[in-house]
Amino acid sequence: MDTTQTAYKDLILQSDGYFGPYGGCFVPEVLLPGLLEIAAAFDELKFDAAFLAEFHDALHTFSGRPTAFTPLPRLTEAIGGAQLFLKNEGLNHTGAHKITHCIGQILLAKRLGKKRIIAETGAGQHGYATAAVCARFGLDCTVYMGRKDYERQRPNVYWMELLGTKVVPVEDGSQTLNDAVIAAFKDWVANPESYYLLGSAVGPHPYPAMNTFFQKVVGEEIRKQCIEATGRLPDYCVACVGGGSNAMGMFYDFLDEEEVGLIGVEAGGRGVLAGEHAAKVQHGQLGIFEGYHSYFLQDGDGNIASTHSVSAGLDYCGVSPILAYLADEGRVQFETASDEAALAAVQRLARMEGLIPALESAHGFAHAFELAATLPKDKIVVVNASGRGEKDLFITMRHFQEESLIAYAKHLLK
Amino acid sequence: MERLVSQQIPVMAHLVLGYPTLKESIRTAETYIAAGVTILELQIPFSHPTADGPVITAACQEAVERQHVSVEDSLAAIRTIRDKYPEQEIMVMSYVNRVYAYGLKKFVETMNALQIMHLIVPDLPVDDSSFIIHHSSLKLVPVLAANVSDTRLEKLLAMDFDFYYLMSDFKITGSTFSLNPRLQGVIDRIKQSSPAKRVGIGFGISTPQQARLVTEVADVAIIGSALIQAQQNGTLDDYLDQLALIGSVEHGLEG
Repeated sequence: MDTTQTAYKDLILQSDGYFGPYGGCFVPEVLLPGLLEIAAAFDELKFDAAFLAEFHDALHTFSGRPTAFTPLPRLTEAIGGAQLFLKNEGLNHTGAHKITHCIGQILLAKRLGKKRIIAETGAGQHGYATAAVCARFGLDCTVYMGRKDYERQRPNVYWMELLGTKVVPVEDGSQTLNDAVIAAFKDWVANPESYYLLGSAVGPHPYPAMNTFFQKVVGEEIRKQCIEATGRLPDYCVACVGGGSNAMGMFYDFLDEEEVGLIGVEAGGRGVLAGEHAAKVQHGQLGIFEGYHSYFLQDGDGNIASTHSVSAGLDYCGVSPILAYLADEGRVQFETASDEAALAAVQRLARMEGLIPALESAHGFAHAFELAATLPKDKIVVVNASGRGEKDLFITMRHFQEESLIAYAKHLLK
Repeated sequence: MERLVSQQIPVMAHLVLGYPTLKESIRTAETYIAAGVTILELQIPFSHPTADGPVITAACQEAVERQHVSVEDSLAAIRTIRDKYPEQEIMVMSYVNRVYAYGLKKFVETMNALQIMHLIVPDLPVDDSSFIIHHSSLKLVPVLAANVSDTRLEKLLAMDFDFYYLMSDFKITGSTFSLNPRLQGVIDRIKQSSPAKRVGIGFGISTPQQARLVTEVADVAIIGSALIQAQQNGTLDDYLDQLALIGSVEHGLEG
């Protein structure tokens, strides 16, 4: 038996931007001074006790951490396999895990004396969280959102605007997260004094490592809560993967303990054909885009392909370079769940446990239900409910109760 | 006309290969060469040109999505132009993912075979160790802005780059023109390190008058979006004539 284990946690924490061959800082020179400034501040602050105390205080007093760790007894019994637990990141203020790295980054931006924040958003959760921290800490905020996401996640647009943020719909390309990232970068090129608050474990150095660092509190809480509830560590941690911020947050603390299985669930969309899904690790090719080297969905000649997922937060062409590395290493296993399976998981969790997860998180549940069925009853499977499902009101309602939605829309317009 | 052409202000004229079609982009290249441009900049289209403004982005999307122009098609077009104009200075521009997907080594070999001496890849830091180009006549072109740090500039100057592409100001291509006051210091430092190092300024140069202004401080004015717009409006010949006239007037005043 091989007794030498790779110290993945240290490798990520001490990274200069590369995780094996992945990551890097592939950006126009004009952005380098800004990124170097953020990287230098992060290198210093990740070991700064006062900064970390301020970060954890804000997580507690503003976002409501720690979030609940909830057993799912009725589902466990119905499935008849492993014991299922849910980490309820949806209980965070603004409804998802995103606010955790937003709090970390806004405190860092304040230390750098920044006055204006730029961000991109897909489902709107990162944009909503960014808007909230900007209002809370008194910084100007502009959020870019693909036109398609702007239309399908309208409630979050409204919340961002209520919080005083300028939301700019992006009309380019496929009008989803990828196009929002590009628009945000373009704003940063034109305004290099601003702070770009990137919202996942993707992008150029230091974002993948920095957002993982802020999000790792999720896995740290799961460790403590799982031991309290069951007396031991989980056998499997399951998280959905769009860019990878909630997955890295859940996985990081367990990376060096190989007895904890780590499973990332990508968006299988409507099928395996190009343009019908967003499963980068399983169907992507190596590429360099939006600042980092990783797996991307492409056309075979170096053009970025379009993606599809019922959940805007997973509808993205690339994946965290850290997850690409951990996939190659065999440390994180990847699966897919389809649009249909995710919708069914929302309904099942609602009916059986009184919990409504975001469509993104529902991908994790869809796979976890299948996995649990194959495992004995003494195994423990924890699923990261990265967000709550209220933002998906008009998507899930169209699916489950289309006539009621139409009637309600007519009523509102009266 | 010949006389005017010879006095034209030094311009690097940019075009997107495959826009509006591959054949027409080759014809446009020939028009630019006939008008006496100093450098022809040929962009291999990419689906998501992250550093370009709306005009070039739309042209790239047309070339990729509707014309389906591949890297191989683009290289064939460059070969056609090169074969007909062996003396013309040509720079090739694209984004890192297209070069990476094609294969860096194969791409560099093709550039060498086509006698292309300069490659512009805006999203590739020119000193990235995995992209150092060995044993090749091809040099990368650093694309710098006024916020380049002294340390960074000195590091690049110590490497063997001989053409520097400067962004006129903090903006994307095709924006309103302005010249950042801190650029002069960057240009002075480049020229001081070696007068043989050339400097081009681009991003937002829309009129021939602005191009002339830029060439007072730089070796060439880089024009992209404005040429595409002139082509779209059917005023490309007028635009090129104006460039020549302005060069001629300038020449007259100075002479």
